[in-house]
Amino acid sequence: MSNVISAKNLTLAYDNGRKEIIKNASFNIKKGDFVFITGPSGSGKSTLLKSLYGQLKPKEGNLVVGGRDLANISSRQLQELRTHMGIIFQDYKLINEWTVAKNVVLPLMIAGYSLDVQETQAHRLLKHVKLSEHADKYPLELSGGEQQRVGVARALAKNPVVILADEPTGNLDDYSSNVIWDLMENACQQLETTVLVVTHKIPTIFSLPYRHFIIESKGVYEVH
Amino acid sequence: MKFIKNHLMFILPLMAILLGIEFYLVFDRTTDSYEKGLKEGYTMLVVTKKPVTLQKLKQLNPHIATLEAIKREQIVSEVAQGVSKQSKKEILAALPYFYNVGLDSYLGTSALEKIKKDLEKDSNIKRVETFGSSYSSAYRLFAFIKFLLKVFIGFMGIVSLFLIIKQMEIWKYAHRERMQVMEIFGAPLMLRAGVLFKVAIFDAFIATLLTSAVFLYVKFVWAAQSGIDLMMQKQDDLFKMTDMAILLGVALLLVIVAVYTVVFSSKGVQE
Ligand SMILES: Nc1ncnc2c1ncn2[C@@H]1O[C@H](COP(=O)(O)OP(=O)(O)O)[C@@H](O)[C@H]1O
Ligand SMILES: [Mg+2]
Repeated sequence: MSNVISAKNLTLAYDNGRKEIIKNASFNIKKGDFVFITGPSGSGKSTLLKSLYGQLKPKEGNLVVGGRDLANISSRQLQELRTHMGIIFQDYKLINEWTVAKNVVLPLMIAGYSLDVQETQAHRLLKHVKLSEHADKYPLELSGGEQQRVGVARALAKNPVVILADEPTGNLDDYSSNVIWDLMENACQQLETTVLVVTHKIPTIFSLPYRHFIIESKGVYEVH
Repeated sequence: MKFIKNHLMFILPLMAILLGIEFYLVFDRTTDSYEKGLKEGYTMLVVTKKPVTLQKLKQLNPHIATLEAIKREQIVSEVAQGVSKQSKKEILAALPYFYNVGLDSYLGTSALEKIKKDLEKDSNIKRVETFGSSYSSAYRLFAFIKFLLKVFIGFMGIVSLFLIIKQMEIWKYAHRERMQVMEIFGAPLMLRAGVLFKVAIFDAFIATLLTSAVFLYVKFVWAAQSGIDLMMQKQDDLFKMTDMAILLGVALLLVIVAVYTVVFSSKGVQE
């Protein structure tokens, strides 16, 4: 029972169940797995991730994440579950009126860490993503690649159990992309973090063993 | 500028409510003795064949609270000016006894009629005069004005509350993205809505201070120069420090209700 994510006959739909995006998908993801998810645009990759962080309830079937059945989860439990997740968005979703340093430690703030701890952690995390000198800037003063590195630092801030990333390097420069892949590999290797990454292209420099899911015609298939 | 406007749009309706409440408190206090006078100043006239005691009248009707005899000699001397002493004596002997009777509380016309009937059942009592209509019209007018004032303040309060919620929605829209991001990272409601609460509570304090300032001005500057007797006599009642606590309490309650209304009215976050 070391499954971090387990889906059985999972069906996901919008518009009150009328618009089915994924149908009867079954898969298990174990602790420490690194999973790439690819598929044509509009196939439901983002939709699948949304369901994993509880933003979209399953229409049918089972979806268990971190031991919680997402079909019947209370908002309090979902809140708690989300504090163990690191979520990375293609459009970064940084809080633009906060400094970079404050953005990075959002998960620590939510967990109730003191300002002192938040400050030292902000230093450490920004060093990791090579943005130390930008701590006091605001997100909109950074380039896209830099903003996404802030997003990654935020996702890693509390050593999450699982990282869910939706096209994190979608349109970033090579340098930022490499920094981001490195960080995810490290988290997976050193902390046994489970990582799910939606991407249109699996990076060539990737050195860890990984799994590969393809979403196509409403199905989720694993490539062996 | 936008910052100030945002706050004013919130503070002004809040102040409208607080001014209404404070105005009512002041009105209530300054007219309290007037109202009491209306209530207690009322007496009915009772005419009896033989002297009567308060206990006796109370047995007839429990609302009767006071009894005051009108001096008969005085009546005679007024009525019988220039009449001989002997005649005066005769008149005095023939004259019934007159009493002013006070009641324990304000009563309507029908209740007064009932008292009159109860009293007239007694064979010793010749006549009861209630003066019901003039008495109740003065009191009713006062009660009516007070009622109108309450309706007006209540109505203003409701309109203002809607304005407050409207403004809160604008804020929420402005803060929506941040609240959504925080929600995705598992922030509890209090943390997500923290900014809204902070701003709203700050504005509640400002509105309370401004409202208090208005009434302190009225109390210490305007009332003294107004030349209105009632205002000058009741200067102390125009604003009390305890009012400030009441206003602050009301303001905080309102803004907290408003924030909760807005925050809870949003369904789950959609991207
Ligand atoms: N909130 C929504 N309501 C209705 N349909 C949606 C919503 N979000 C996405 N869709 C639709 O679901 C399908 C899959 O979308 P998405 O998961 O974003 O695809 P991908 O990420 O693979 O490009 C698309 O047809 C899209 O138009
Ligand atoms: Mg997508």
